[in-house]
Amino acid sequence: MKTLFSIALGILAAIGGYVDIGDLVFNTTAGATFGYQLLWAIVLGVGGIIVYAEMCGRVAAVSNRAVFDVVRERLGFAVGLVTLVGAELVSLLTLAAEVGGIALALELLFGHSYQLFIAVAVLGLALVLWAMPFEWIERVFGYGGLCLLVLVPAVFKLHPDWGEVAKGFAPHLETGNVPLYLYYVVGLVGAGMTPYEVYFYSSGGVEEEWTPKDLTTNRLNAIVGYCLGGILSFALLICAGALFLPRGISPELLGSVALVVQSPLGPIGLILMLVGIAFAVSGAAIDTAFSGAYNIAQFFGWEWGKYRHNAGAPRFTIAWIVMLVLAFAIVITGVNPIQVTEFAVIFSVVALPATYLPILLVANDRAYMGQYRNQRLSNLLGIFYLGVIVLVALAAIPLMIITNMGTQ
Amino acid sequence: MRISEIIGLEVRTESGDGLGRVYDVRAELTQRSLRVVGLVVGRRGLLERLGIDAPEASERVRKPDELPWSDVVRLDRRGVIVRDGSKPVR
Amino acid sequence: MSRIDLALGILDHQLIDSQGRRCGKVDDLELDGLDVKAIVSGRSGWAGRGRLGRLTAWLARGPRAVLVPWDEVRAVDDAVRLRKTAGELRLGRGDDRARQLVERIPGSGL
Repeated sequence: MKTLFSIALGILAAIGGYVDIGDLVFNTTAGATFGYQLLWAIVLGVGGIIVYAEMCGRVAAVSNRAVFDVVRERLGFAVGLVTLVGAELVSLLTLAAEVGGIALALELLFGHSYQLFIAVAVLGLALVLWAMPFEWIERVFGYGGLCLLVLVPAVFKLHPDWGEVAKGFAPHLETGNVPLYLYYVVGLVGAGMTPYEVYFYSSGGVEEEWTPKDLTTNRLNAIVGYCLGGILSFALLICAGALFLPRGISPELLGSVALVVQSPLGPIGLILMLVGIAFAVSGAAIDTAFSGAYNIAQFFGWEWGKYRHNAGAPRFTIAWIVMLVLAFAIVITGVNPIQVTEFAVIFSVVALPATYLPILLVANDRAYMGQYRNQRLSNLLGIFYLGVIVLVALAAIPLMIITNMGTQ
Repeated sequence: MRISEIIGLEVRTESGDGLGRVYDVRAELTQRSLRVVGLVVGRRGLLERLGIDAPEASERVRKPDELPWSDVVRLDRRGVIVRDGSKPVR
Repeated sequence: MSRIDLALGILDHQLIDSQGRRCGKVDDLELDGLDVKAIVSGRSGWAGRGRLGRLTAWLARGPRAVLVPWDEVRAVDDAVRLRKTAGELRLGRGDDRARQLVERIPGSGL
């Protein structure tokens, strides 16, 4: 009974932690622009991260390796280094976007200046990363993020056309603007398959010394957690579709995102939404900062780990500190965090194949995985998603240019 | 000499036939030593380097084509020369 | 006794010392005739890994590289496991230096 309880808690934390700034931005703008037509793209993204995370978790449990151990072993030093640099740049952009998002949410909650809250956010994150025991981090930010569940009653209060909503789960086009539609497909898949989340999950698996015995629980945790978290993404898109599309509103501010809840549920809804955003995006920022440190430490073979104490893994520690400092520098220039988010999601899509492919290969490698290598279904899904990822990666930048970052 | 200098070298027979590039070095691991026993050679390059030919039988050995060291006539920074008639064995 | 492909099974793999501490990767292998004489770990080990390797070696600071005699290898499985501690083999010095910096910040033992 106790394990069931702890699994449930783990899933709750995963749901609360699922949404990040990329989801907030892309789900609302997709809903505001195309109504419910792109719900299937969210499904595609959730499916993708489940497949990717499952393989990474299995590789971690069986062969004791995290993503960038595998990247270096399979791609070698030179190609691996290019992959690392790409991953770190994307992580940095993502972290900057998240810091900006936290600052915006705090500004909307408390007033005062955005610049002040950027400093508060960075210092707060640094303190948490430095001093808070990891189990607490998961719980505090995961449960805090559950405030976002306010989106679910909001959906019902908005009375969307459920027939249209249902149609949205099947890929279809009812629009003349094909490039823009495809841009959002790319964005939603990218926002769903956040790479830092996978690096973090994989590294966590090695740190917690998962063994093959842990595989079923972890698989369950991942699948259920991501699926239920995906419900929040659906809710965001449906609310935006119901509220913004009929009025021709284009949500360009974080405040607009929170509006999706304020309109049906009033000020309490708004506050819950903003609190949820602050916690969820903070949790995401923590994962992103750690994953940046994990990646570089794993590539070069340094000691790493959040359980290692700060001085026990010194270069790892310095790495996440440097990431926070650089993220601060980016955001304090006054750049619009919503725009940074869009760049971060699009570039993370471009970088995705390079870290996905080595994992797919190793997951199939009998020498690494023994009896736990990919079976038929895993490979079918694994290769399907490799195709999706490659297509999306190739299309991302052209679409971004053609649609002028989703504005045309 | 270092391993990094061997991997990637072109392999030709004495009479000039190209057999591809060295993409790995096969060795025998004992309690105290690690000794080179052959070269893993092939035309297929990239996919094999990524490890797509997953090993069937033993632990850490690729499927394709091993050239036993006894077939090597000369190996230096310019490339590898092997005996005529030498063919990679699985 | 077993067969192993060096690029697949040893090169770029993690080095772990006798106390379980991570202390670098196998960046290259030094041969003496047909025998692998030593593991090369560190900056100059990258110099042989292509142009990007040379660039990284040039940009990086710290000691040139460490040669770990193959005798010091206890086992090769998920990682290359060594018989002695990192300190005894002069590995992981980058972390040692970084630790002096990190320890100055209060709460570094948390």
